[in-house]
Amino acid sequence: MAAPRSCGLWSYYGRGWSRAMRGCQLPGLPSSWPGGPLAARLLSQEKPATETHFGFETVSEEEKQGKVYQVFESVAKKYDLMNDAMSLGVHRVWKDLLLWKMNPLPGTQLLDVAGGTGDIAFRFLNYVQAQHQRKRKRQLKAQQNLSWEEIAKKYQNQEDSLGGSHVIVCDINKEMLKAGKQKAFAQGHKAGLTWVLGDAEELPFDDDKFDIYTIAFGIRNVTHIDRALQEAHRVLKPGGRFLCLEFSQVNNPLISRLYDLYSFQVIPVLGEVIAGDWKSYQYLVESIRRFPSQEEFKDMIEDGGFHKVAYESLTSGIVAIHSGFKL
Amino acid sequence: MSAAVATLLRRALGPLRRLPGGPRPAADVPRAGSHGAGLLYPGHIPTSPLQKALLAAGSAGMALYNPYRHDMVAVLGETTGHHTLKVLRDQMRRDPEGAQILQERPRISLSTLDLGKLQSLPEGSLGHEYLRFLHVNRVSPDTRAATRFVDDEELAYVIQRYREVHDMLHTLLGMPTNILGEIVVKWFEAVQTGLPMCILGALFGPIRLSAQSLQVLVSELIPWAVQNGRRAPCVLNLYYERRWDQPLGALREELGITTPPMHVRGMA
Repeated sequence: MAAPRSCGLWSYYGRGWSRAMRGCQLPGLPSSWPGGPLAARLLSQEKPATETHFGFETVSEEEKQGKVYQVFESVAKKYDLMNDAMSLGVHRVWKDLLLWKMNPLPGTQLLDVAGGTGDIAFRFLNYVQAQHQRKRKRQLKAQQNLSWEEIAKKYQNQEDSLGGSHVIVCDINKEMLKAGKQKAFAQGHKAGLTWVLGDAEELPFDDDKFDIYTIAFGIRNVTHIDRALQEAHRVLKPGGRFLCLEFSQVNNPLISRLYDLYSFQVIPVLGEVIAGDWKSYQYLVESIRRFPSQEEFKDMIEDGGFHKVAYESLTSGIVAIHSGFKL
Repeated sequence: MSAAVATLLRRALGPLRRLPGGPRPAADVPRAGSHGAGLLYPGHIPTSPLQKALLAAGSAGMALYNPYRHDMVAVLGETTGHHTLKVLRDQMRRDPEGAQILQERPRISLSTLDLGKLQSLPEGSLGHEYLRFLHVNRVSPDTRAATRFVDDEELAYVIQRYREVHDMLHTLLGMPTNILGEIVVKWFEAVQTGLPMCILGALFGPIRLSAQSLQVLVSELIPWAVQNGRRAPCVLNLYYERRWDQPLGALREELGITTPPMHVRGMA
C-alpha cells in the first residue's frame, strides 16, 4: 500500500524543467523553439507530449488539468464536510495556524489561489476585522480627552470595518467557487471579498499587485508547479510574502505507517460513504504521496525567485507551511 | 471455440462499455489503485478485507440515515454478499435457464431493450406491464449502480443481474416503488436469495414507517411476501428477455405468485 517515493522523477519534472526553461536548450524539442527568457511560458501549440502523474496513474499533461477539474467538480458540494470527516476537524487548526503565521495587518491585499470554498479567505477577513477593531479601540482609548464632536466624526468615518483589507479568491474550478460563494453568503461575508476564475499557472492579474499570496492544499493539483510559483512571484509586490499550506512527508516512521494505513484504507471508504465518490478520494491520497518533500519543495520555491524560504512541519509532517519573500 | 467465446464476451461487455450521453461522471475519470492490473471487470475497485468491513458498516449506517442513498444499499450488498452470491451462482448453474443466463450474460438497460417492440406487445404481457411499471413509477433501468466491490467477475454479473431483475419483481408482485412497496419486495428477495443486504433491508427498512403502515405490513404484506418467496423458484433463473410476450398472469401462475392481499397505493 505504501507509495513509491518518486523523488527522482519529481526532480526532473520540477526543478530540472524549470532550470532548463531559463534559456537553456531543451532536449527533444523541435529546432524552431524560440528559446530565451520569453520561453518561460510554453505556447500550447508547441507543447511537447510529456507525461505527468495523476495520483499513481501516468497521464499526459493536457489530460491532467481536465481530470483534476472533474475531481473537484464532483467533490465541491461535500468538500467541507469531507475535510472535517477525513481530518477529524484538524484541518481547521492547520488553517488557523496558517493565519497566525501570516499575521496580516489591516490594509493587506491578499490573493488566495486555489481558494475554492474560501476557508482561508474567510479566516483572513475575520482576522483583519478583529485586528482593526482592536486598533480602533486602542486609538479611542488614547484619545479620551477629545471633544464629543471629534469623537462623533470618528464614528461617522468608520465605514470600513476591515481597514482597507481585501482578499481575492482565485480558483480554476467553477463548482468550487460556487460552493465558496454560497458559504460566504451563509456566513455573512460581503465586504472585502472578490471571486475570480483563474488558472494558478497563468494568473489574470498584473505584476506587483498583492501583499500576500496563499495557496492552501491546492498546489499539489497544479500540473506545472514551477509555473505556479513563478506566477506567484510575479503578482506579489516587492516585500510580499508567499505562503503555502500543503500535505507533505511524514518524518516519523511509525506515524508514517499509521498515516498510510489510514489514508489508503479509510479515506476512500469515507469518500464513498459520505460523498458517493471513491475515486476522487483515491486520487487525493495518491496525489499527496506524489508531492515533493519539505526540502525539495523549499528548493522549488527558491527556484521561483523567492528569498528567506522556510518551512514548518505540522502534525509530524502530515502538512507543512512553506513561506518565502519577494525582495 | 475461442472465437465463439470471444464474440459472446464482446456482446456481454458491449453494453457495459457504453456510457450514458453527456458529461462523464467524475467517479469514472480517475482510476483507482491498480490502474488496469488486477481489474476483473470494467469499474472494478479492488478492496482489502478491512476496506470491505468499513464499507459494509458505513454503507449500512448511511443507508439507514439517508434512505435516498440507493448507492449505499448497493455497496452494502456487494460487500456483504460474497458467500451468498456463490450459492446463488451455483443454483443458477444447476438450472438450465439459469445456466444460459450465466453464459450469455444478458443485461436489462435502456440501450439493450427494444422499447418499440415492448410497446407493441399485447396488454397483459410481461413486456407491456414492465414498461407500464417503469412509466407509472417514473423509473428507468439505467439508474442501477454498476458493480464495483465484488472480487469475482462472474459473481459481479450475478449481483448486477439481481439488481436488474429487481424491477421485474416489482412488476411480478404488483408493488409500487414507494417505501412500503420496496420493503415488501425486499422481504420477497430476502427469502428468495438470502443476501445479507436484503435481510438487513427487510428488517431495518420498516423503522421509518408510520404505525399504520407498519401494522398493515406486518399483519398482511410480509406473510404474503414470505409465502410467495418460499413457493416460487429462484427468480434469477428466469430469462426475462425471452419471456416478454408471455402473459403476466401465466407467468405469475408458473411461479406460484398470488395476488397481493390488498391494493398498495401507486400501482394497479
